[in-house]
Amino acid sequence: MRTGVYVCHCGTNIAGTIDVHALIGYAGSLPGVALAREYKYMCSDPGQELIRQDICDYKLDRVVVAACSPHLHEKTFRQAVEQAGLNPFYCHMVNLREHDSWVHADKPAATEKAMDLVRAAVRRVKWHVPLERRQVPVHAEVLVVGGGIAGIDAALTLANAGKHVYLVEREPTIGGHMAQFDKTFPTLDCAACILTPKMTAVKAHRNITLWTYSEVRQVEGYVGNYSVTVRRKPRYVIEKLCVGCLECIQACVYKQAKVPDPFNLGLSKRKPVYIPFPQAVPQVVAIDPETCIEFKSGKCKKTCVEVCAERNAIDFKQQAEIQTIQVGAIILATGFDVFDGARIPYYGYGLYPNVYTALEIERLVNASGPTGGEVVLRDGRKPASVGIVHCVGSRDLHTNRYCSRVCCMYSLKLAHLIKEKTGADVYNFYIDIRAPGKAFEEFYNRVAEEGVVFVRGKAADVYPAGNGDGRLIVQAEDTLLGMIRKIPVDMVVLATGLEPRADANDVRRLFNIGCSGDGFFLERHPKLAPVNTFADGIFLAGCCQGPKDIPDTVAQSGAAAAQALALIDAGVVELEPNTAHVLEDACSGCKTCLPLCPYSAISFVEEKKARINEVLCKGCGTCVAACPSGSIRQNLFEDEEIFEEIDGLLASAAVGGGPVRIQGDL
Amino acid sequence: MGTCEVTLESLPRYPEGKEILTCIQCGACSGTCPYGEVMDYPPRRMIAMMRAGMLEKVFTSDSLLACVACYACMAKCPRGIRLTEILLPLMKEQTLTHLPELPGELQKALQNTLRYGNPMGEPSRKRAAWVKTAGVPIRILAEDPRPADALWFVECYTSFYPRGQDNSRATARLFHRLGIDFAILGNEEKCAGECGRLTWEPGLFETLMDYNMAVFQKYRFNRLVTSCPHAHNAFKNRYPALGFNWGLEHTTPFLAKYLDRLKPLLARKLDCTVTYHDSCCLGRQNEFYEAPRQLLQAIPGVKLVEMVHNRMNAICCGGGGGGMWLDTYFKAKGYERLSERRVREAVATGADVLAVSCPYEVSRFEDALKVAGYDKQMVVRDVTELLAEAMED
Ligand SMILES: Cc1cc2nc3c(=O)[nH]c(=O)nc-3n(C[C@H](O)[C@H](O)[C@H](O)COP(=O)(O)OP(=O)(O)OC[C@H]3O[C@@H](n4cnc5c(N)ncnc54)[C@H](O)[C@@H]3O)c2cc1C
Ligand code: SF4
Ligand code: SF4
Repeated sequence: MRTGVYVCHCGTNIAGTIDVHALIGYAGSLPGVALAREYKYMCSDPGQELIRQDICDYKLDRVVVAACSPHLHEKTFRQAVEQAGLNPFYCHMVNLREHDSWVHADKPAATEKAMDLVRAAVRRVKWHVPLERRQVPVHAEVLVVGGGIAGIDAALTLANAGKHVYLVEREPTIGGHMAQFDKTFPTLDCAACILTPKMTAVKAHRNITLWTYSEVRQVEGYVGNYSVTVRRKPRYVIEKLCVGCLECIQACVYKQAKVPDPFNLGLSKRKPVYIPFPQAVPQVVAIDPETCIEFKSGKCKKTCVEVCAERNAIDFKQQAEIQTIQVGAIILATGFDVFDGARIPYYGYGLYPNVYTALEIERLVNASGPTGGEVVLRDGRKPASVGIVHCVGSRDLHTNRYCSRVCCMYSLKLAHLIKEKTGADVYNFYIDIRAPGKAFEEFYNRVAEEGVVFVRGKAADVYPAGNGDGRLIVQAEDTLLGMIRKIPVDMVVLATGLEPRADANDVRRLFNIGCSGDGFFLERHPKLAPVNTFADGIFLAGCCQGPKDIPDTVAQSGAAAAQALALIDAGVVELEPNTAHVLEDACSGCKTCLPLCPYSAISFVEEKKARINEVLCKGCGTCVAACPSGSIRQNLFEDEEIFEEIDGLLASAAVGGGPVRIQGDL
Repeated sequence: MGTCEVTLESLPRYPEGKEILTCIQCGACSGTCPYGEVMDYPPRRMIAMMRAGMLEKVFTSDSLLACVACYACMAKCPRGIRLTEILLPLMKEQTLTHLPELPGELQKALQNTLRYGNPMGEPSRKRAAWVKTAGVPIRILAEDPRPADALWFVECYTSFYPRGQDNSRATARLFHRLGIDFAILGNEEKCAGECGRLTWEPGLFETLMDYNMAVFQKYRFNRLVTSCPHAHNAFKNRYPALGFNWGLEHTTPFLAKYLDRLKPLLARKLDCTVTYHDSCCLGRQNEFYEAPRQLLQAIPGVKLVEMVHNRMNAICCGGGGGGMWLDTYFKAKGYERLSERRVREAVATGADVLAVSCPYEVSRFEDALKVAGYDKQMVVRDVTELLAEAMED
């Protein structure tokens, strides 16, 4: 055996705590070690070249790299070893940084631990056998979940690149939150003008299958080969036959709309047969079975069906439809929920009618909104003064600790729009104005110049004025003046923050990805893999990953589309070989392993033997440990390798401190 | 931390001190403080001065005396800084030591508490005198030391003040009818001392804690019930450091647990509109918002209405943090009386009864109603009084 041991300084990350000279001196003395070297940055090009050269010059047949986490650089070093003509799985990493130098302060003890770890690796790597990565072909289709601006943009990019995209949206229309806005900061361009062309392009694109009013029910398979079940909820209207004439809505026996309209956040009413908003895509109505008389009593005159006539698009008997698709990659773009203002009792949302959320004001300023773009109170009056309360449900450990990133900017936007439409005095109660994007600070400047008032202090209380004039008092410390201010206003706008979707945890489980502490979907690396997840082939775009504005959302959806393209265009994926396999002769057919596998990778053949589908196996080792007859083995985790590693690790204890005692069941 | 030895100097070494470093100077604390307008250094500015190394200046202003320990700032601080629990008492201690002399009323109350075990200066041998008027048997442990399920810690106002005794008599009747195995300490009881802590007379507080703990240890009981939210606070947060580990309840949530048994007893219709004032210690500090309301709604004929500021947003009666004995001082300074601010809100609801759960509040609000000229319109009743009234004998 000719093993090379390479110890990385990682700058001072490792060398600052561990005596690397002593360590290589020790490593060089171990049986089977042909040479031991240290280097400042092993992962650098010269570092890798060192290994490659040594393999040739010294005929090394095993390599141990003692550096950082294999999570970071195992690929790097295996590749280097492979380039020198050695099987990549003859290379093994020791995590000196995370497991030793970063977590210990006592230098001699840390060095001793490093010696133990290196010894264990040298003894383990002896047992390594050459392994092959398998290649499996990749499906060229992509699933995009969520049809907000993130999902729309990702779907169009992929479709334009010639890939087939399934876009699955839960609501009857795509568009997401952006469809509810009138103008967008900081340029104040009209949201509909920039969004609706993209929405119609989605519908028209031959490479996009658009399924609205649909949800993903099941996800199976693995990177490049996902099998996804989608449930299409019945909208009681046949999509192919509906031409979007909306005559049925006119004809409905309800002369007046009676049901609070969720798209307008209850600020207007809709009928049981409805289209969410005029530019909805697809232009297809839907019937709400909760309020439709036909569903309640079966005795409606069905004037809608009459007027639809020969088009025959209405179908009260429509059933949910299940579709199963095969895709190579998945992009999650499920967006965010708006914080519920009623959770902060002292702002009076839900109690005082003139307290609104920002999203409600977005609808009021919108020309196609419930008031045709007029900013008026519920009693129809124009407000003469408006208070905008920042950070509602953000930057507060009672609700959400994080900053929602867009509220300062949309508050400035709304301040401008309200002032423009009503001439009202507008007060912004803020803690800090966060305007860190392109042209954002300039926008802040513009709004200030327009005469919007800024009071630096978190609003502490909102309550009705004592004099009965119907106004609300916003009370806050003006921290710049050092005095308490009680400003009477006609309207209060709560700049409510962005939250993970209420069902984010269910969706996370469905796709087998993670969430960060704040509840948003977790990216693989905050800087270097911001749209990847820990599930290969599943990517993130937009606010489902964290609060962000539209420019950032679109940048991210482009990145997610590019990642999906890179995966698909490679045509194949390589699967790591660290899978489990059954020694068929030894398997007694007890089926212990069968229910344990979290990936359903084990099946039964000939009613006798377990067999593991290598493509599905993720190498978790559960079955290996559970098999009572020891007849499941796992590549890279063979018994010999593990025992040798343990023995190596404990060897110094056995010499110095008498017999090794191991506690607990083994 | 849980002990009294933390000082302003040692604070930065504790997690609670580090917490203060996270203040974002948002002003939510000062903005919500009922006396934020009159303080020279409301909480936010105090922290700013602390950071600037200018605390001495804060102590030379007496305005922190206006802190009524109502927990409002702490409840809204977005960083969760424990202002009322930790920082403000430490600051107040310093402010008091910088005063040339303590306000007379406060000084007297503290002296009385030290000498007689109650702030009114009533003789301690008369503490249990009210028992004879209760109309139901009440066991006093000194006379009959058998183990009891509940030790009822009566507290001072409810022992000596006539209106406080109404509360005690009502409580005794309720306990009796519910078949609760209870007993009191009688003349052996002394003030739990919470007022001493929040006005920062730690020496006084410790003397009382040691005394009461020694008395508790003489007897066997499962849980301690008290009708004073301030005493409840002391037992919950301070006494455990001395080994207090009995169950602990405040009368109102305690009675709410017996709602099913209580309901059939409430046969008399009261026909009144009630608004409930959340005591700071019971509400913001312990989040008992629903229990008192459930009890009130169980009374036949009671219509419950809410004040503008309720639950976690309630306005303090002004009695906490020593405010109970600073009325004259505040008046001299020209501060608005918080109890008057509060009763104006109560009257605006149209209610005819202002229900409370803290013995401080009865006298404060009754006085405020008189001063503000509303005493014909509205009466003040402890929740227990209303329950007892609705209970037919
Ligand atoms: C009041 C307010 C004003 C704003 N103003 C601006 C502005 O002026 N300029 C700006 O740049 N940004 C603004 N923003 C931010 C902007 O809304 C977001 O950047 C943007 O909407 C993010 O898009 P998204 O596609 O990630 O999420 P969303 O818009 O939330 O879209 C997500 C979509 O996914 C669907 N979906 C969710 N779950 C599922 C599921 N399980 N299955 C299928 N479909 C699902 C939803 O129905 C929705 O259609 C504002 C935000 C708010 C709250
Ligand atoms: S190792 Fe894990 S994933 Fe592989 S077959 Fe066994 S239990 Fe399943
Ligand atoms: S509320 Fe909290 S964070 Fe805000 S100024 Fe006061 S102490 Fe600081």
